[in-house]
Amino acid sequence: MFDYLTFGLLAQLFINGILFGTMYGLAAIGLSLIFGTMRIIFLSQGAVIILMAYCCYWLFTLFKIDPYLSIPIIGLAAMVLGAGIYQGLFRRAVKMEDKNITLLIAVGLMFLIENLMAVMWTPNPRSISTGYTSSSIPVGGLAISFTRLMGFVMAMLSTAGVTLFLKRTLVGKAVRAASEDIEAARLVGISPHWVNTIAFAIGIGLCGIAGIALSTTYPFDPYFGFIFSLKAMIALALGGLGSVFGALLGGIILGTLESWSSFFISGGWADAVSYGVFLLVLLFKPEGLLVRSVKKV
Amino acid sequence: MLKLTNISTSYGKVRVLREVSLEVAENEIVALVGANGAGKSTMLNTISGIVNPTSGSIEFLGKRIDGMPPYDVLELGISQVPEGGKPFPDMTVRENLEMGAYSKKARKFMGESLERVFKTFPILKERGKQLARTLSGGQRQMLAMGRCLMSRPRLAMFDEPSYGLAPVVVGELFTFVQELRNQGIAILLVEQNIRHALETADRGYVLENGQIVLEGSSRDLLSNDHVRKAYLGI
Repeated sequence: MFDYLTFGLLAQLFINGILFGTMYGLAAIGLSLIFGTMRIIFLSQGAVIILMAYCCYWLFTLFKIDPYLSIPIIGLAAMVLGAGIYQGLFRRAVKMEDKNITLLIAVGLMFLIENLMAVMWTPNPRSISTGYTSSSIPVGGLAISFTRLMGFVMAMLSTAGVTLFLKRTLVGKAVRAASEDIEAARLVGISPHWVNTIAFAIGIGLCGIAGIALSTTYPFDPYFGFIFSLKAMIALALGGLGSVFGALLGGIILGTLESWSSFFISGGWADAVSYGVFLLVLLFKPEGLLVRSVKKV
Repeated sequence: MLKLTNISTSYGKVRVLREVSLEVAENEIVALVGANGAGKSTMLNTISGIVNPTSGSIEFLGKRIDGMPPYDVLELGISQVPEGGKPFPDMTVRENLEMGAYSKKARKFMGESLERVFKTFPILKERGKQLARTLSGGQRQMLAMGRCLMSRPRLAMFDEPSYGLAPVVVGELFTFVQELRNQGIAILLVEQNIRHALETADRGYVLENGQIVLEGSSRDLLSNDHVRKAYLGI
């Protein structure tokens, strides 16, 4: 009965999953940075990604700027927005003992962004259609969609960039130090506000990249963001907190899983499978599949 | 160089320090001893700017530093090694040391400071690429001291460096403390290991329930009846 299962088909599903998963991964890296330094569960991550997708859409339809040329504009704008979100909304709340407050702010921000988008762009799905939207690159009998491949490349490059920043620069190391031990970080002269601002700028900057990747590959509507945040959180649970590459890999695993389950079971089951995996991971390996040792949080 | 005058510090409604006065002179080793919960760590955190005093003043090299944020206090030359050292566990030994030189003033001297630290603690050079979490307790404490040195402090404050370490290692650490003084760094040493601390220090203060109950030269304190009964068990 599985006659239709050719190697080509399986490989195609696998590749689609990976390419979609990298977007979850990008969102997960941002979540991980923000949670790592501030213990904030930034639920509005997905909504910001959609907002960035709309910005890309606008630049394209109003100013005829090609989505890939808008990367520096949107990337930079997203980083400024991230710094602004921290300074304006979280600067005071982050010091409070009660972490529910930051969670509430994040949820509030999510609803605000979602509804603003609905007002500005209507709740109808939008998509960007360029000359290359439907073009694909044949690789050994498989067709790889050009825009998805670009999304994958963008995700890889920005992950590498963030990793290099965290490992090689003094400021990046300070971000890591602050997420490992904030007390000790303060004692070596690291200002928590500065590090938090940077973590937010990078986290939201990655939303910009993910937004562009999303807008070029799929139709999107204002309310798609929340699901995206949840998926990013699952990716984070799979990859384990504290590892940039782990978060990306978690996203890729999740994307592959969804791609296969929606084909073999049905589209409606893809979400059920990912939440099921989320529960299983939390039950049996809560520190993350890809983490060697148990970390304190 | 450091002068605390009538410092009181509270956590919420609980007063932890009551009108504490203390001085550290240039090139001096001063021990601050007392039982668990006496307020020793709070005192260091008050000096570092992690907590703000409710009243009193702190002067360092003639400047008021109470109310300053920790990074400014550090910039002036006060560096604290917290209890347990608190190295960053998932960063390498070398990265930990680099973090010590994060302050603007110290950043320029990063290479020079690294060499100096490696000279004082050769083991840190050997373990440079290892993650801090893989170090033994004594090595972690050395790493924390090295990180403190990287900020090029004028005054180093150590919070219970001997805590949880084997006696041999404790002896070694206290020789390092002496050596730092020889490099021209004043030291405020907080300890529960009172005999060791007083034998290393020039002067000492005894803190009980947030108040200084005794002060004097180490020799006087070691022969004081109250200290002998309450802390040395003689």
